[in-house]
Amino acid sequence: MVNDGAPADADVVAQVLGGDGEAFGILIRRYEPGLLRFATRMLGNPDAAADAVAESLVRAYRHLAQCRDPGRLRSWLYRITGNRCRSHLARRHTNDISLSDAPPLADGSDTWAVLERSEQVALVERALAALPAEKREAFVLKHVEGMSYEEMATVTGARIPTLKMRVHRAREALLAALEEVVR
Amino acid sequence: MSPIDPRLQEALDGERDPGDLPADLREAHARLIAATQMLKATPPVSVASRVMAEIRQNPGRVQSDGPGRRLIRWLGRPRAFTVRLRPVWTLALAAGLATVLLLPWSNGGPTPGVAQGIASFVGHFPGARSVEVVGSFNDWSRGTLHLNDDNGDGIWHAKAVLPAGQHEYMFVVDGERWVPDPLAGRYVDDGFGAGQQNSLLIVRPVSSQP
Repeated sequence: MVNDGAPADADVVAQVLGGDGEAFGILIRRYEPGLLRFATRMLGNPDAAADAVAESLVRAYRHLAQCRDPGRLRSWLYRITGNRCRSHLARRHTNDISLSDAPPLADGSDTWAVLERSEQVALVERALAALPAEKREAFVLKHVEGMSYEEMATVTGARIPTLKMRVHRAREALLAALEEVVR
Repeated sequence: MSPIDPRLQEALDGERDPGDLPADLREAHARLIAATQMLKATPPVSVASRVMAEIRQNPGRVQSDGPGRRLIRWLGRPRAFTVRLRPVWTLALAAGLATVLLLPWSNGGPTPGVAQGIASFVGHFPGARSVEVVGSFNDWSRGTLHLNDDNGDGIWHAKAVLPAGQHEYMFVVDGERWVPDPLAGRYVDDGFGAGQQNSLLIVRPVSSQP
């Protein structure tokens, strides 16, 4: 992913590998928001997500020479972060996020609007947290991070039909949870 | 939980115009899209300073240790005499390579160390302009271990003194194509998911050689 006028990922990677470690900050600024969002949705806990992303970025830096296609750095970083999140979930011996881990509610200024919005956000987050990790991951990559199924396959290592099935099942579960509340 | 209409799945996958859906499916579509929008808020935290501090404190070999220095360090170590020959597709080729690889090291070469061995890397890459080896032993840094094809037959080879033990590695062909060694025999997941594998090399210390 390259913004107008910004150096391409491959150029920045070459700069870092050439000895300019500070240039890695460009990549952090470029991908940190998405990685934090992804990890937060996967782990449900902002602190754990921050740890996972920080560890992933340090690991990415250490192994930058192993990035075989710097032009697809984003996928590589999400892959490392996804692995980190899975490890974290495995240590918890469960793929589910506890409700107490749910991220904080959205900020806002208008009390009633904020409250209503916050309740909705909390509802969606609970429904997402109730999904098995692999379905949650597929849904988040598709609908929150806006990835194509091809890029998701690169990130997760799963086949595209498998990913489609996971996303479809996640949608069904989320829709069912949302309809349950409407009733 | 019941399966949702395939038309709704198609619309959510961008394969169908949501406007063409029946009213009830349009409503479900809007509900799911609204739900996903709620999940798109970016957490108001940053780990940038923490990561950069970690990198600066312990820059690792990406920054601090150039390939020339690492090569000099390897060459300065006591050397063992363990030869791993590949490819094995013909005995004649293996014998020829063994001759090529062993002679320089047996003519007054370095003294073998106790916990080190010599690894030989051989690959068949016809038409390649360059082939090198990157691996866990050189922190996956390029430019430290080049293979040679002196007679232009497409068979590239090199040797290196490595610590005894297990090492992961890959060939880098023409500076851009990362290729596992098809003759490695053993492979290990590269640790980054997606099912990609590194080749595995086991270097035996000289003390274990017959």
